[in-house]
Amino acid sequence: MTDDRIDQRLRDLARDYHRPPATPREELWARIAAARAARRSAPRILVLRPWLRWGLAAAAVLVLGIALGRITAPTGQVAAQADSTGAVAYQIAATQYLTRTEALLASFRAEARTGRLDAQFAGQARDLLTTTRLMMDSPAARDPRLKTLLDDLEVVLAQIAQVPSGRTGEDVDLITQGIEQRSVLLRLQTAVPAGPGARKQGAL
Amino acid sequence: MDERELIARVRAGDALAERELYDAHVDRVFRLAYRLAGDDALAQDFTQETFIRAFERLDSFRGEAALSTWLYTIATTVTLNGLRKVKRRGREIELDTAADVAESRRRAEPDLKTRLYAAIEALADKYRTVFVMHDVEGYTHEEIATALNVEVGTSKAQLSRARAKLRAALADFAGEWIT
Repeated sequence: MTDDRIDQRLRDLARDYHRPPATPREELWARIAAARAARRSAPRILVLRPWLRWGLAAAAVLVLGIALGRITAPTGQVAAQADSTGAVAYQIAATQYLTRTEALLASFRAEARTGRLDAQFAGQARDLLTTTRLMMDSPAARDPRLKTLLDDLEVVLAQIAQVPSGRTGEDVDLITQGIEQRSVLLRLQTAVPAGPGARKQGAL
Repeated sequence: MDERELIARVRAGDALAERELYDAHVDRVFRLAYRLAGDDALAQDFTQETFIRAFERLDSFRGEAALSTWLYTIATTVTLNGLRKVKRRGREIELDTAADVAESRRRAEPDLKTRLYAAIEALADKYRTVFVMHDVEGYTHEEIATALNVEVGTSKAQLSRARAKLRAALADFAGEWIT
């Protein structure tokens, strides 16, 4: 059988691949109209593209890192340290993020067991979710292990951010089960650089 | 109605013209989104976002390509970016869907289709997208090239590569191809 005939057979068979149902025209049109109306009435906010968001965040971290370096470096070593300032500053930011996330998830899991959830969890999760997405768009995501962890953290933090204040029950159980099943806390602890210095930096 | 006239009416804020534009293109946009996502909710989300962006950006449409081609460009961008965002979750959904589909087809062609769907899923995104657009949904290489912002030759090469990978993945079914 020639490749052409095989390709034709492939095309025939592939027609059932993800075969779409009938288009829900009216439902979709109603959704589009509602979404456009909502966007028109919502206050305009500046939406930064991922590269710009990361660029601004990196610039802020770099400024902080350079400032820290100049304050703490002995005289004469400033130039030598300048080259590594970016990497150090990035490490500080990453460590801080991972430590905060670890603390949040550990507290969330503990409070979920007691059946009383603090309303602050959702707000903190939203903040960390923003940072998570910055990290996912950053060079850090090139590390496959960290990328997988960030993917999991994005899902878990998004779930926590949506838990209504004081709510417990099935939703919360599912989140904690997700944390357990994917060993998120253990992987977070592994990802945070070891040593009291790192933890201290992370707690800044 | 002439396409340029329709666009002019939409730009002028004519709600009926917006609906007309939507009706003319929604099926193909939804079909493409569904074929790539393999999930109804995601396909609806991507179709919704495609039309919202299209209406918002219609002023920037210069008419250098057909309106449909411009829309497919937005649709593929929205869909592929959306799938990347929900990659892991989306993949699980697709696998579930593929398994369901495979189950429902099992009586007709027990393993061949199952293997074909798995092989399509396993293709790299760039090959899968071109294969689905061309061989499943019938887009031309020119439309695909514009939508994916690649050369026509690249689209053809990627389709050829995708087919070769699928043939290789299904080589042990050679005897069944003839039936």
